[in-house]
Amino acid sequence: MDTTSPTAFVNGGLLHMHVGRKVRAVIQVTRSDVGFVMGKSADDRQLVVKGSPPVPLTSYVEVIGVAENDNSIRAEIWTNFGDSFGMSYSRLNLLDLFEPC
Amino acid sequence: MQANEFDGNAAFSGGGFMPSQATQTAPGRPSSSSKNSGARCLIPLTVKQLKDLSRGGESGISIDGVDVNNIVLVGRVSKIDNAVSDCTFRVDDGTGWVECTKWIHEHVDSVEVDAILVGMYVRVYGQLKSIQSRRTVHTFSIRPVTDFNEIAYHFIECIYVHLYNTKMQGGMTTQPQVTNSSLGYLVQGYQTNLSNQFSGQYNTDELNLGVNSLVLNYLRRPASLASETGVSSDVVARELNIPLDKIRKILDYLASEGLVYTTTDDHYKFTDA
Repeated sequence: MDTTSPTAFVNGGLLHMHVGRKVRAVIQVTRSDVGFVMGKSADDRQLVVKGSPPVPLTSYVEVIGVAENDNSIRAEIWTNFGDSFGMSYSRLNLLDLFEPC
Repeated sequence: MQANEFDGNAAFSGGGFMPSQATQTAPGRPSSSSKNSGARCLIPLTVKQLKDLSRGGESGISIDGVDVNNIVLVGRVSKIDNAVSDCTFRVDDGTGWVECTKWIHEHVDSVEVDAILVGMYVRVYGQLKSIQSRRTVHTFSIRPVTDFNEIAYHFIECIYVHLYNTKMQGGMTTQPQVTNSSLGYLVQGYQTNLSNQFSGQYNTDELNLGVNSLVLNYLRRPASLASETGVSSDVVARELNIPLDKIRKILDYLASEGLVYTTTDDHYKFTDA
């Protein structure tokens, strides 16, 4: 068991506190290109993630890597989180739940 | 139904993580046993929490005053050691990693283990074992996470159970010893702020303490301490998102207590005692 190298979960606003350290973040991909991906963090800030994204790339991806500055991460590990991460409530038709029997 | 964790009834009732409820539903337990014994709790934990477990209690290991028997972990598999009779996974959840060993007795075990690959997120159910001060998890079940909301949900559950258990123990978690009286004042402020939120009563004096310590913490940041002239009150108000007149009142109060002092007009510095 080892807790000497934790990776902090960050969003755009917290990234500046961990520059130079290992971080992990989930981003919503807005643009994907060779060598980098641009996306939105959970707090709606634009982040650039450098590295080679997996193919195919889903809408949401988790990246684990080193924070380079307050809006970019050099990713080592990419994990596809699918297309409906954190979106479960918007998919439910809430009117169905409240219809009188 | 994808996984039983999403069935709200199953997650929050029965022998879940609420030891007092579990003992109430098991009236056949001998009355001489301790408060938490017989209530085999399934506790969601992070690897960091596993490391912080203290010795004591019936099973020899406890956290937040609750005996730890079975645990749930969610993390990423970073290494797999596959032997004939067992398989060891290194599970990393961002707070650290721990080795989880699944013994392979039957075909169904090897099917379960073969489904796990390096890089996958998994949910591990197991029992904590301590071998020569090295903590490992004896795994009952390990399965891949398919809906990644499970990861966020697991961490929220860890936080909830931790806060619930510490509240059960009287509301105060153990804090490191502080000798500086102003730091002690800060710790006290945060403690009472939290416990008041849980009890549902809002004591404005306690809330003020919480905001005072926020301002004081801002002035104690290395950047603020390094500056010759200190920090102006409107910068503090903007950074902490608190109205300027409230900030001014807090800074005046802190100055009267001797915790901060004014340098130039409207600039404040922490009194580095």
